[in-house]
Amino acid sequence: MTLQLMIPASLRALLLVFACAGHALVGAQAASALTATAVVTTNQVRAELIAHAPDGADAGKTVWVGLQLAHKPEWHTYWKNPGDSGLPTELNWSLPEGVSAGAIAWPMPKKIPIGNLANYGYEGTVLLAVPLTITAAFKPALLSGDIEIRLKANWLVCKQECIPEEGSFVLRLPVRSSVAGNAAAFDAAARAVPLALTYTPRSGVTVDGNQIQLAVYGLPLAAHGKALGFFPETPEVIETAGQWTQSWDGAVWRARVPLSAQRSNSPALMPVVLGLGTQGYRVELPVTGAWPQVTTPAQVVPAVLRTPAATVPPLGFWAALVGALLGGLILNLMPCVFPVLAIKVLGFARHSHNQSVRRLNGLAYSAGVLLSFLALGALVLGLRSAGESLGWGFQLQEPAVVAALALLFTLIALNLSGVFEFASVLPSSVASLQARRPMVDAFLTGVLAVAIASPCTAPFMGAALGLAIALPTVEALAIFAALGVGFALPYLLASWLPAVARALPRPGPWMETLRRLLAFPMYATVAWLVWVLGQQSGIDGAGALLVLLIAMALLIWTMGLRGRSRLALGSASVLVFAALAWGIGPYVTQPLQQGANVQAADGWEAWEPGRVEQLLARGEPVFVDFTAAWCVTCQYNKKTTLENRDVLADLAARKVRLLRADWTRRDPAITAALRQLGRNGVPVYVLYQSGKPPVLMSEILSAREVRAVLAQLPAS
Amino acid sequence: MFRRQLFVVSLVSALGFSGSVQATPAVGLKAPEFSLTDTSGKTVRLSDYRGKHVVLEWVNPGCPYVRKHYNTANMQGTQKEVTGKGVVWLAINSTAESHPDYLAPPQLARWMAGQNAVPTSTLMDEDGTVGKAYGARTTPHLYIVNPAGVLVYAGGIDSIPSARADDVKTAVNYVKQSIEDSLAGKPLRNAVTRPYGCSIKYKS
Repeated sequence: MTLQLMIPASLRALLLVFACAGHALVGAQAASALTATAVVTTNQVRAELIAHAPDGADAGKTVWVGLQLAHKPEWHTYWKNPGDSGLPTELNWSLPEGVSAGAIAWPMPKKIPIGNLANYGYEGTVLLAVPLTITAAFKPALLSGDIEIRLKANWLVCKQECIPEEGSFVLRLPVRSSVAGNAAAFDAAARAVPLALTYTPRSGVTVDGNQIQLAVYGLPLAAHGKALGFFPETPEVIETAGQWTQSWDGAVWRARVPLSAQRSNSPALMPVVLGLGTQGYRVELPVTGAWPQVTTPAQVVPAVLRTPAATVPPLGFWAALVGALLGGLILNLMPCVFPVLAIKVLGFARHSHNQSVRRLNGLAYSAGVLLSFLALGALVLGLRSAGESLGWGFQLQEPAVVAALALLFTLIALNLSGVFEFASVLPSSVASLQARRPMVDAFLTGVLAVAIASPCTAPFMGAALGLAIALPTVEALAIFAALGVGFALPYLLASWLPAVARALPRPGPWMETLRRLLAFPMYATVAWLVWVLGQQSGIDGAGALLVLLIAMALLIWTMGLRGRSRLALGSASVLVFAALAWGIGPYVTQPLQQGANVQAADGWEAWEPGRVEQLLARGEPVFVDFTAAWCVTCQYNKKTTLENRDVLADLAARKVRLLRADWTRRDPAITAALRQLGRNGVPVYVLYQSGKPPVLMSEILSAREVRAVLAQLPAS
Repeated sequence: MFRRQLFVVSLVSALGFSGSVQATPAVGLKAPEFSLTDTSGKTVRLSDYRGKHVVLEWVNPGCPYVRKHYNTANMQGTQKEVTGKGVVWLAINSTAESHPDYLAPPQLARWMAGQNAVPTSTLMDEDGTVGKAYGARTTPHLYIVNPAGVLVYAGGIDSIPSARADDVKTAVNYVKQSIEDSLAGKPLRNAVTRPYGCSIKYKS
């Protein structure tokens, strides 16, 4: 068939049509001329109808007939369960009255992997044998005294390409004489048929979520402890090419096999074949446990989800701008921004003697904030158009970014603690640049403030951002700009209005004390970032990050030393840091096992796409907590409102199902769900009820608000 | 160097080269988003059609089962009937470029036109990413995504898995039936069926 591979596909299609026509012709000739054609040969297989009747074919005798398929190398036909593709060979018999054919005695198949898929089938030569039962009702033909056996067979033969073929066969079997020429072939076929295991009641299949567990008792001693092949006879149940495991528990064979996500069979009895080398064992296993439900969402998708635009409360563009401005203002008070705010106040106090410097610094800081917000907005919009599913805070979904921020904050905290001064670490020209150009410094502070503010979504910001993501580019950028203006406004005012500036404290030795004090919120931020990373990369990742932070601290300290000790210790610590980064750095970014960070806390189950629709279809109200480990507001709400005893009691009384969607790591399904709600970041709290639009609650969730919303639900 | 490594890692994942391919979606769950180019080079995304039913048809003109349904005009008739109801039909070819069945975009477009096929678009998925994301195994293999972006049907074109052209007349056409059910807001009579045909010639 290498020849066929070289022929262009279109030409080959034509050839195939001819080939198929050829097969039909073979059949037609056989039928019309009544010549006993028992062999059909194609380019892929030689198919022959053969019989085995050592004692003749009288009434009461069982006679075997069968289709022997000899495949060309690399070609195969299929078992009764063909696996991921393909079709089983079909035999349609036309027999005289009084003669009936049984089912195919399928020999043990072979698992044939093709890339990410797998089939069950036969290569080489296989005999599909069928028993014929001859009763007294059979009257041999007057002239010949033969049984005329007619077979129309269809088989699909595949290598890389697949060719459906068919053949018509005729065989005359003498009633009175022995036909034993194919005894060896039929014997071999009989041996290849799996042995029936005596069923013991403890054997069975248990459905366990998305997999099945098999327990098979009574396998022969020779098989114990050996790895067996597994072939389910029921198609469309398991993931044929999926990873499955087996083990021996004394004399019991156990296996866990993944179910197909697109399973169309839910059998109550699963006949399976287990293979040990060429020997197969067949057992019919009863199924216990419920098959995972296949939802029929056409009926259950609430009307409001069908028109996503309707879920966004009609919020005008100007209202969104004002909302963004307010949101930016309030962002200053969020816990992740506060340390920076304090540093900034320190900076203002330092320069309060010089009005023009202060004004310029205020402008530079505002420019830094504004440009950072615009850059973030442009990045989000750019990636949106690139088809990426992103949302606010997405930077922190990457462990690498979290780790980089932790390193940066440790650096800042060490500086505040006085472990080093920038002047002693950086070349003097850079340090003096920073001293001489405080504007550059102020600008960079603005950039930093935006970077660390991103995990905190303040009230008003959620709706504005959600809108921004759906708006045309210019309007969307305007929303981001308004956020920036709001965020920078307090400093701008303080630097321009002497009244505000006068209210600031005078510089003095207290500033050094304050600086040392402010290092601690920075360390706290690092602790929080390490915890976030722990959620993303596990305990190994968090541990690795801590070691790297310590190595960096050592490196920074040695840079501040003088003379020979600086050279010796400095180069040693550079080597230590580099070696550690190389050795354990990968732990920081390694992803956790899928779903491991979504623990089902008591009463909460992990959100997954379609689950809400499924529950609504059953008439159950659903509360979804869209959250992330790096989202401080989320954690605050979780610890206060969502663990409030009255709230929990109300939720339980109204039988509200609780789902938690964890966005700590990038999850396009959750991003899509947020977008359906008109949002683009977490936290989002939403109550779904069948037949009603979803109710969105505030980002800073109060127990009173949740209870008020719940009060509108009928208590059950 | 460590920093640079971090930066590259975060940049790569931020730009989405890690892809959004997850486990095979089950019916009733969110249909994976994709972005492919059609035979004329235009980019088509699943989300472009949010708010409409979308039929995905895995096609490979080199497969006799695909030809069974095109030679009998069954596939074209189904396309015509459902697109007439406002349904979007995307034919997707996941055949690897290295496979002899592969048709370059202009050839595939010509073949579709020659068959009088009327899909909304014919899309190229030579890398097989979209096919694998959906768990598509055979040609033909059909999927229906509802207006909310949820996968509602996965399986065969009809109820008789065979290569015989005659069977088209007696088989139940699951795509027509499911679109009918879904448009009427009824639960689908057959939400998951057995896809049958040749295996998809994925890039290895």
